[in-house]
Amino acid sequence: MKNIILILGFALLSNLGVSGEKVFASDELNCVLCHKHRGLSRVDENGEFRLFFINEKMVKKGPHSKVKCIDCHRDIDEIPHKPAEKVDCTVECHLEEPSSKQKFTHKPVSEVLSKSVHSKYDAEGNLKELAVKYPDDYPDCKDCHEQPLYRPLSFFKGHAAGISERGLSRCKSCHTKGDFAESFYAHVTSRLQKMRSPKEIVGICARCHGDPQFQKRHELDAVVTSYMETFHGKAVHFGSEAAPDCVDCHVVSGESVHFIEGQDSPTSSVAKGNVATTCRTSECHADAGENIAGYQVHVTYDKDKYPLQHYMLKFFTALMAAVLYFFVIIIFLELLRRLFPNFSFTKSSGADEQGH
Amino acid sequence: MKYPKIAYRNGKRYFYRFSLVQRVQHVILFTTVITLSLTGFPLRYYDQPWAEPLYNFMGGIEVAPWIHRIAGLILLALFVFHTGYWIYLFFKNRIGRLRRENQLTMRNAIREFFSQEMIPNAKDGRDLVDMFKYLLYFTNRPPRYDRISWKEKFDYFAPYWGIPILGPAGAALWFRDEITHYVPGIVLNAFYIMHTDEALLAALFLFFVHWYNVHYSPEKFPLGTVFLTGYLSESDMIHEHYAEYVRTMKEQGLEHEIKPQGHH
Repeated sequence: MKNIILILGFALLSNLGVSGEKVFASDELNCVLCHKHRGLSRVDENGEFRLFFINEKMVKKGPHSKVKCIDCHRDIDEIPHKPAEKVDCTVECHLEEPSSKQKFTHKPVSEVLSKSVHSKYDAEGNLKELAVKYPDDYPDCKDCHEQPLYRPLSFFKGHAAGISERGLSRCKSCHTKGDFAESFYAHVTSRLQKMRSPKEIVGICARCHGDPQFQKRHELDAVVTSYMETFHGKAVHFGSEAAPDCVDCHVVSGESVHFIEGQDSPTSSVAKGNVATTCRTSECHADAGENIAGYQVHVTYDKDKYPLQHYMLKFFTALMAAVLYFFVIIIFLELLRRLFPNFSFTKSSGADEQGH
Repeated sequence: MKYPKIAYRNGKRYFYRFSLVQRVQHVILFTTVITLSLTGFPLRYYDQPWAEPLYNFMGGIEVAPWIHRIAGLILLALFVFHTGYWIYLFFKNRIGRLRRENQLTMRNAIREFFSQEMIPNAKDGRDLVDMFKYLLYFTNRPPRYDRISWKEKFDYFAPYWGIPILGPAGAALWFRDEITHYVPGIVLNAFYIMHTDEALLAALFLFFVHWYNVHYSPEKFPLGTVFLTGYLSESDMIHEHYAEYVRTMKEQGLEHEIKPQGHH
């Protein structure tokens, strides 16, 4: 009886979170003391609802699990704190890259991004005309990235995703102390594949490129819609990891995914002369002919831009309408005929006469 | 196997229409077409709520495309077999007879070709006019179709138009890497539209028109059995093939038992 009460007591305590999980190592200021509450939120000055809940378990599964909160949220110097500023991903944090002993920062990524089509500045460093008008249309880190999660590879049986215990066991035979094995295994294996599923990537690009207002502002086609009409898009929709998403074609093989260039740039993966090379990467249409570049991916059926597709669509629509209307009308008339089987405007030919 | 022109079951008359080989061809045709539809249309309508469950049921993105390709290959093989089949029958029955009768001239051979039962002819035009007259109440005499009505000829030639469009287009999209050595890439765009739009036309036609004729119409519901037995009942013969009915009855010496065509 005593034991049962003890067990019940423990269960109760752990449910209340008193004896619950320990605070994650990098949270030395115990920020989750408040931020663990799911309802922690407020309506800000702009009238927007802001949620400040931090899912500790999720953070622990990501590459930022070793980064201290204060490393990114640098303006916080007292607790309870004032409204925090937006995080700048290009600052140096306290982590050291073990081989070069340099402080870690995302600055190189942001430098790559600033050279891409998504930069607010043109090649000469001048603010783009559209960027003056619509500065919010140009993405920075957090427009595409949320708090990332590891997505480790596992070649071991029975593990589709997540850390493979059997894979880990090989590391752990030597790395017995701390969570070195877990953390580096996840760190390395998650980078052996795409960080996100193709479907997720398309969703990220669609946040801007799928918005008709955005397309109008920047005179862009509905590229997400047209991509989804291709087999690539459909395969990705049904969960294929092998079919290409946006960045597979729009980033030069081997380059940083942040270096997406416009079609007009001669070094772009989708510049006229480079399309065939892009399609023929070893993972995709390696054996295809040069002509594969002529396949049009982002077809809009616009009469001037895509006349072939426009008129083919018209032809098949007309054919379909003609055939189906013709037969459906006949079926309809046949059903009507059954209502008055013997009626006729003319009485000359009787239904009863035989044969010829 | 020898099939009697008129068979009797439970005192009822049944008229011979389709041989076993033909019925088997039809089973292969509809099995592959239904399989192709189930593994194809979820892709076309990927954003519909039914698409994902159906596609996953058919094997999902890893398996369903292969089922689709194999079914397509079987259908193409059937198409080739069927074309060989009627050419064989044409030479065996018609050219053979002309040869035996020493009548084999180009002119006669061409005439024989166009008198094959699936080839449209002038009577089909007259039947079409008769049908509209009847449907619009200008007469109460229904059209008197012969062995193959114009509707059935349309049904027959639908795959003859559809498969040569769908099949090569599907094959080209399958072997896209190889064909881009020989044709411009935009041909793939054209094939893509051909494949998916022609497939939709075929499926809608089969679903609304063909299935009305053999499943939904009041005489047939829930299904006509001629595709299984090869024989059509007397009332259906009178209703759908009156000209052939009268001719067969006369051939079999049953003139006095010919029934009138009135509505049933």
